[in-house]
Amino acid sequence: MKRIEALQAIVDATPDLPVVATCAATSRELASIEDRENNLYLLDAMGLAISVGTGLAQAIKDTNVSRAVVIEGDGSLLMNPGAAITAGYLAPENLVVVLLDNGVYASTASIPTQAVTIDLGRFAESVDLKVLRANNTEELAVALKQTLTEDGPWFIHARTEPGNEPGTKLLLIDPVVHGDRFRRWLTPRLSA
Amino acid sequence: MSTTITQDRHREVVDALVGLAPDGVAYVPSASIAPIINGALEAQEKGDLPLVYAVSREEEAVGLVSAYPFADKFGVIIMQDNGFGNALTALTTMAVSYHLPLLIVANTRGGLGEYNSMIHSISEPVPELLRSSNIPVFRVDRRNPAEDWGATVKEAGNHAKMTFRPVVVLMEFYDHKDAKAKA
Repeated sequence: MKRIEALQAIVDATPDLPVVATCAATSRELASIEDRENNLYLLDAMGLAISVGTGLAQAIKDTNVSRAVVIEGDGSLLMNPGAAITAGYLAPENLVVVLLDNGVYASTASIPTQAVTIDLGRFAESVDLKVLRANNTEELAVALKQTLTEDGPWFIHARTEPGNEPGTKLLLIDPVVHGDRFRRWLTPRLSA
Repeated sequence: MSTTITQDRHREVVDALVGLAPDGVAYVPSASIAPIINGALEAQEKGDLPLVYAVSREEEAVGLVSAYPFADKFGVIIMQDNGFGNALTALTTMAVSYHLPLLIVANTRGGLGEYNSMIHSISEPVPELLRSSNIPVFRVDRRNPAEDWGATVKEAGNHAKMTFRPVVVLMEFYDHKDAKAKA
């Protein structure tokens, strides 16, 4: 499965949920599918997506927003694996991490990551995240459906092909404006 | 039971944190601020703080607590100043860039009373490092009475909320009048 196909499956499954996306090509491709107000793009916060998603899961706990969804990459996770350990330690039941693992740093010249030999799904299991595996869009859709209805913390290990979608535009946006758009989308729904 | 000036400062800081009513407090351990961390954990047990939790590195704490304002919530980080090297990319590319308020209370190392021969290499430049990254820094030390420590922490938290950015209080615990005060 291509990353853009995996992102489409995530978009389809999360019309009403906050989605935190890791920086660079992943955020750009997510925005190219649909620049939704419930998307929070981390424009340059490397390795921080799971931490932000875990904090968001804490912040929306016991509200009408049922899940915090994180789209992470293997390179980004490897930059800050402690974030996954902390997510497993804190164990927010409303956290869903989708790891798009293509085995390369796709945004930086496709240099191979350590995920070429390290099984990040097994790593996630070892830190007490509930792991599901997906190798195609059908399996990803099934996994997403489960994680949105059963308590987590979830970690979907989705294998994707290396490479970026050609022609995807840069995200030339003001982070303050973008963050405020996300906040304005989220906060009315917390008590709705 | 009488308390030392250092214990009074610990208590004032904990009371100030409770008074700010944060939605979460993340901490990275340090011996100097262990009494503050323990005080926060005790406040959680009593129901005075909703959520106090450990993280492994400082940038994780920044990521976690930076998310709170998106839900109109507010968080605090308790850490040691040598961890700002770990936290700087997260602070600048997340909290500063997205205008996300949070409060960091950090003990200082590398100054008076320090026993470690190298920690000053990171701790001494921290205030300049933070200020040059558009992160305001307020400092308290042996010259400030305990109530001033608490008042500074409380107002720094309000300042973070008012100015929509991370704000740091650096606390230097050395005090020649208290033999147990740790650097």
